[in-house]
Amino acid sequence: MSERRLETLKGFYQNYVKPHYEAAHKAKDEGKLVAWVASTFPVEILLAMDIIPVWPENYASLCAAKKVSVPLCELAERKGFSKDLCSYARCVLGSLFGAEDLPEGGIPKPDFLVVSTCACDTHLKWFQAASRMFKKPLFLLDAPYNIESSDPKGLEDYYIQHYISQLENLIGLLEKQSGAKLDKNKLRETLKLSNKAGELWLEIQDYRKNIPAPMGAREAFSAVYFMLCIPGTEQAVNFYEKLCNELKQRVDEGVGVVENEKYRLIWDNLPLWFDLQIFRYLEDLGAVVVAETFSHIWAGSLDPSKPYESLARKYLTNMANCSIERRIELITEMIKDFRANGVILPTNWGCRMMSIGETLVKEKVQEMTEVSSLILDVDSTDWRSFDEYRVKTILETYLRTLNRLFG
Amino acid sequence: MEPLELFKTLISADNEFTREWKRRKKPILGYASSYTPEEIIYAGGILPIRVFGSLEPSKLADVYLPVNVCSFAKSCFNRALKGEYSLLDAYVISNSCDNQTKIYDFWRHCVPVNKTYFINTPHSTTKRALKFFHNELERFKKWLVKNFEVEISAENLKNTIKVYNENRKLLKQIYELRKRNPPLVSGSEALEIVLSSMMIPKEEHNKLLRTLLDKIEKREDLPKGGVRLLVSGSVMDNSELLRLVESVRGCVVADDLCTGSRYFWNTVNENEEPTKAIAERYLHKIPCPFMSSSEGRFKHVMEMVKLFNVKGIIIFSLKFCDVHSFDAPILAEELRENEGMPVLCLEWEHSLSGIAQLRTRIEAFIEMLED
Repeated sequence: MSERRLETLKGFYQNYVKPHYEAAHKAKDEGKLVAWVASTFPVEILLAMDIIPVWPENYASLCAAKKVSVPLCELAERKGFSKDLCSYARCVLGSLFGAEDLPEGGIPKPDFLVVSTCACDTHLKWFQAASRMFKKPLFLLDAPYNIESSDPKGLEDYYIQHYISQLENLIGLLEKQSGAKLDKNKLRETLKLSNKAGELWLEIQDYRKNIPAPMGAREAFSAVYFMLCIPGTEQAVNFYEKLCNELKQRVDEGVGVVENEKYRLIWDNLPLWFDLQIFRYLEDLGAVVVAETFSHIWAGSLDPSKPYESLARKYLTNMANCSIERRIELITEMIKDFRANGVILPTNWGCRMMSIGETLVKEKVQEMTEVSSLILDVDSTDWRSFDEYRVKTILETYLRTLNRLFG
Repeated sequence: MEPLELFKTLISADNEFTREWKRRKKPILGYASSYTPEEIIYAGGILPIRVFGSLEPSKLADVYLPVNVCSFAKSCFNRALKGEYSLLDAYVISNSCDNQTKIYDFWRHCVPVNKTYFINTPHSTTKRALKFFHNELERFKKWLVKNFEVEISAENLKNTIKVYNENRKLLKQIYELRKRNPPLVSGSEALEIVLSSMMIPKEEHNKLLRTLLDKIEKREDLPKGGVRLLVSGSVMDNSELLRLVESVRGCVVADDLCTGSRYFWNTVNENEEPTKAIAERYLHKIPCPFMSSSEGRFKHVMEMVKLFNVKGIIIFSLKFCDVHSFDAPILAEELRENEGMPVLCLEWEHSLSGIAQLRTRIEAFIEMLED
């Protein structure tokens, strides 16, 4: 079965990711401020302040895609960091222990690091360790966990206020670092761009609801880069507009990722960054991943007239910061909206947040939709315990158990 | 029974005091974190006890949880599934551990416990964080009052704080006895004493401690001496591991454990508005490593090294306890480079599987220190 790649995604790494690292290194050399940022931190603030964000998580995933993440993890393990820790963290910390020939020359050194506890405590600990090595300050945006409800209104008012008050304080600290005030107009513009990128990104997801689906997971996991890393930019908006147009055309012409679409799958959590070909393998079996939870948690509508409050609501209601009901609800909705007949729930060895809870998701999703899920024990970045043959066999067997969409 | 032996028998949810408490139809609340403001619970006539695991394999929990999970948290959940926590009227956790936070979803869905509650513990100690935590504790207080139909007055809180502070001071006196050479109380005994304090009403524990302190000077079966060690780590809910260290000529004289010194080292300010003072105490206590800075904990370790004349340190990282595992190499480096302190870093499983290997490594470390 031939795969028809999307024009917009061709050369994605060379055209978008690599230049970002080059620009960040250049900016660093020119004395501009560079910040290490963890996902679920409201990056819109940094973008509005002309602070260059770099993403250790993104760096770990690209190291995995380039098959150099494991030697870097091993460097961190030799320094005493347990091999059971987050493989992103091990990979990035490892890159700081004198490794040579790092992809893209390594992550530019930070002037400071920013982190939020929205997703996990690992973010905080990993950035703490890096902050100590660089002797650069770490700024924390502490997020109260959202146990009550996925509904933003379910958040206690003082939770929102706490987030806002920290954000205001943090902006003050960043202003001291940069020597320039945050331009409120620019922040409004950044939020508008972030909204626009988010709307386009959701429109892109909408196109994937069509049968056959015009885009699969391999391309989605590349394209989400803008939404995740630099949502409030013209570049993000332009890219997503282009992608939208191409998908629209595909849908109009009835062109899908595969010619004979038999299975439509939902993918939870992260992909195997070191083996994105696994999606190709699935596609060859007629199975298209039509939606990822990861693609559905970064777009949020921000109110430019209430920037801090809407950032608080966006990030505090992110699935990563919520109890399991939010994940179950999202997957259940996605099954319905995307007419999916299967769900892959990959765990992630070094990640408690992604690993604990999948049995509950499987059970509840099956109760509500009669769709059965597959829990796949893997790691996103560390391939040492990855058995390709075993994983392929499991996937193929799972597909056979699914109800076929087209008889 | 001799007081020292008595403590060990109390490290169980089902003990003579909890049975008596239940007989009087008073509620018992199980909690998962040393950041739980016990004073607020106890002031409402509710007995807070810490949820511990057991050395049994977690067969029931294995159905729900993957392999890459903290075996302590898994064991606690397993016991709940087995019905061993059926005496609890409520289960309360804090935002202080990713493992516990995620397993809490399973507690809510799979364990027939009457009530559950989640306390958001800030990860920093700023004024903002304190204000937030104060709000969060007021909210928790309201929840207790509503759900258990109890009264939690300022007066009750103040009295409870006194009782709790006394317990903390008495526990410190027990630790003082470990400064001697050989210590008057062994590491495993001291741990059992602290653990038992989490399982029974604090007034009762205070009585037991006072009796012990009266008698201990006349103790004849003194603990064996040996290489003076500090153990650092997260949770130890039984004394098996310390007994293992002691069996190979280690003499555990101090600790940096969540269920050891970190549990009781700091007291509550008795001259302040009680709920605020409680919030302050828990937020500013010797930090567990989920907090935004570990410096306070590292400093605590360094101080203990000096005060207790420690000659070597064992860092026990419970497997899959991420926050401790991130700190372990950093703490080890600081101790080695700044204090010239020999450090052994070990990973362990709560069920003590692989204990033979642990014994070998601990014995080799102690032999090295004896030379």
